[in-house]
Amino acid sequence: MDIATLAFSALYQFGDAFAFLVLSACGLAVIFGMMGVINLAHGEFIMCGAYVTASTVHAGLPLPLAILSGAIVAALVGALVELVVIRHLYDRPLDTIVATWGLSLIATQGTLIMVGSTMAGVGTPFGSFQVGAYSYSIYRLVLFASALGVLGGLYALFNWTRFGVLARATIQVPHMAAALGVDTRLIYSLTFACGAGLAGLAGGLYAPTMTLVPTMGATFIMEAFVTVVIGGADVFLGTAPAGAVLAVVKSVMTSWQGQLFGQIGLLVAVIVVVRILPKGISGFLLRERT
Amino acid sequence: MNGLPGFLRRLEGPQTVGRGPAFWIMFAIILAIACAYPLFSDGYTVGNTVYFFVWVFIALSLCLIWGYGGSLSFGQTAFFGIAGYSYGILTLNFGSAYGFTLVALVLAVVIAALFALLLGYFMFFGRIAGVFLGIVTLAVTLMLERFMAQTAGPEWRVGVARLNGFNGMSGMPPLTIPWPGGDIVLFADIGLYYFVLGLLVLVYLGLRILMNSSFGNVIVAIRENPERAEMLGYDVRKYQLITFVIGAGLAGLSGVLYTVWGQYITPSSMGMTAAALPLIWVAVGGRSDLTSTVIGTLVVLAAFQALTIYGSQYALVFMGVLLVLTVLIAPNGLVLGAMNLLSRLVVYRGKGGV
Amino acid sequence: MALLELRGLNKHFGGLHVTNSVDLELEAGEIHCLIGPNGAGKSTLFRLILGEHHPGSGDILFAGENITALKSFARIHRGLSVKFQVPGVFKGLSVRQNLEIALQRQHRGVELAREIDRLLTFLNLEADQAQTAGNLSHGQRQWLEIGMAVGLKPRLLLLDEPTAGMSPEETHQTGEMVQRLNMDGMTVLAIEHDMAFVRQVAQRVTVLHLGQVFAQGSIEHIVADERVAAIYLGQAHV
Repeated sequence: MDIATLAFSALYQFGDAFAFLVLSACGLAVIFGMMGVINLAHGEFIMCGAYVTASTVHAGLPLPLAILSGAIVAALVGALVELVVIRHLYDRPLDTIVATWGLSLIATQGTLIMVGSTMAGVGTPFGSFQVGAYSYSIYRLVLFASALGVLGGLYALFNWTRFGVLARATIQVPHMAAALGVDTRLIYSLTFACGAGLAGLAGGLYAPTMTLVPTMGATFIMEAFVTVVIGGADVFLGTAPAGAVLAVVKSVMTSWQGQLFGQIGLLVAVIVVVRILPKGISGFLLRERT
Repeated sequence: MNGLPGFLRRLEGPQTVGRGPAFWIMFAIILAIACAYPLFSDGYTVGNTVYFFVWVFIALSLCLIWGYGGSLSFGQTAFFGIAGYSYGILTLNFGSAYGFTLVALVLAVVIAALFALLLGYFMFFGRIAGVFLGIVTLAVTLMLERFMAQTAGPEWRVGVARLNGFNGMSGMPPLTIPWPGGDIVLFADIGLYYFVLGLLVLVYLGLRILMNSSFGNVIVAIRENPERAEMLGYDVRKYQLITFVIGAGLAGLSGVLYTVWGQYITPSSMGMTAAALPLIWVAVGGRSDLTSTVIGTLVVLAAFQALTIYGSQYALVFMGVLLVLTVLIAPNGLVLGAMNLLSRLVVYRGKGGV
Repeated sequence: MALLELRGLNKHFGGLHVTNSVDLELEAGEIHCLIGPNGAGKSTLFRLILGEHHPGSGDILFAGENITALKSFARIHRGLSVKFQVPGVFKGLSVRQNLEIALQRQHRGVELAREIDRLLTFLNLEADQAQTAGNLSHGQRQWLEIGMAVGLKPRLLLLDEPTAGMSPEETHQTGEMVQRLNMDGMTVLAIEHDMAFVRQVAQRVTVLHLGQVFAQGSIEHIVADERVAAIYLGQAHV
């Protein structure tokens, strides 16, 4: 086994882990980073995206469109949730956690009732390729590219579009934004919907690689939270570098001891990082007046 | 209350709802009913009631840490599981002779408390608070569940006790009280009922005294304004840690009693759903008061059980809806709201009304 | 020996040099006022003295002991006490309970109840003792907090704008209260903007500007200093 094959394998593992962490986390990061809301129903928005994607594929839609539809439906549900529940709880962060947990319970059990305990999945497209003695899934490379694409797209959205700039202004100084005529309620709704949509996108993208069960959100949520907490409130200075660091931790631990220890490695990392860098990586980088 | 020794006077105070002869007479009546109840009921129903009582301790732990202390911890089910498994490991290895099961009960609770001491030290002395406390404790709970769920192989054992992965540990001996004439074995029946009821009354009264003492004053002060509490000379971290450890002990007590009731413990008792349930009982009951927490827990548990005849998924959906509605509409708790209303009516009528 | 000594205290926040080589000496028994334009770093200095912030360099000595490394609650045990600018009472608890929490560390049982009653009378809050602290008027809440800070029987009382939001009448009463406490032996360090209050109580004054000690001396001396007037009016450059 020569160096090149080894290096490729390591890079592939890293890219795979990075993609998973970033895609799972960016929706949560947008909502938490921009609004300070911890959305424990995040996993269920992912599940929603996955289920819608699978259903539309079975109805005949090509995969890319199906994934898009998953993201859109998740965004719409997110807007509804914000309107009915989240909106009333902005000054009560702990209660938001509790309420979204209730929503998560409703969503998983409701899906179980309505759709049953499993849903017919979607096959992984594109097949595989060989490097040295191992074969790798091409789709995973697509996922890595998607993760980078999503990061790029978010950067463009929040820095170059009108919505993005208004959103950042509203979240940082809401009463000023309102005084300047910004409809702050609309901004909050759209931001939350954006976060939910990103979650749905992650669900749709990963749907072809997983078994679809109502509790599938749980697979993503821990890793998403870990990435967001370690990253801190800023999506670009936080989630991305955190995703990179954790991808290294996870892939190293997984290849050393297996999946479980990969996950345990992440959880240990979050406990340690919260202790040392209470505001995450981005908080550390953006150190301001205490 | 003034003739009583100092600490008993603390049964009433600013941190607990319910005072005066009317309240305590009602308490005595309810206690009498609870004591007489098994004599008029069958073994199954009594065993079922014990099952309800078992969960009250973990609800009280959340009431203490979240309601009084202001820290949202998702770690209570972790301590539940740790204590339950500890009891299993200890009794499967050392048996039930010479009252060892009682020793094991105490040891298991202590083990859970020690774990909380370690975790709590990390968190509170690291100034981890608010939402991050919730996330770290949630991470620990899920990590524990995932770890235990994959311990299926025969190499996963402590002494002769196999951890058994997803299926959990079973077959541990029930609580046995050594007695001259023949040990009293507390199966999930009348014997266990009185044992747990006794514990429940002791814990409830003990917590009332604790929370109305100067310790309780500091705890709620920290909840209201931690900076001010520190500036009055209180080491906030120390008080939070102590509360966390006591809470873990209570959650651990629930864990052991649950294990002893059904003679099994599984990793799913530390999963997401299991962690959500105490939250629902306490939120609906009223987290800032002990009495409303106890009542709320029993009521919601009974309702949940009644609904599961339609299917556990429907029951859980209902619980989720209940939680969301409570948070939105009655964040201080439905039962607590009702209790406050009742006490205001009583006072109103007592003053002769208009 | 000075009761409080600040030696070469420095603090940066990011690029901002908020506290710049501050030296200060407070004698036991004095009433000392800290004045200066907004942003001069007065509140930061308080927070350094109390241990909420850690200085970049420099030392804080209290009664000869170096307390720079001590945590806030430990400094309170040594005899410091503070009333912050924004009323920091326990809003959800009753007035009586607020005072009880302040006093229970040092008193017990019957004596505790008596001390609470004494303080309630002193603060004119006897009638409102069962009231939730959040329902008090702004001025009453300020007084409650002063009462809690004073109830600790501190050697040094730090007051951050004690008369903020008060009427001239209430301000004068606060000044009298401070003088009464001082006559009982309490040393007071107060940040204030209200010059009437400063003139009423201050024995010595320190003027802070851009994080540095700009001037120090008796109240008459400071009031007569033209440079001090200038920094308030924005003409001076240090």
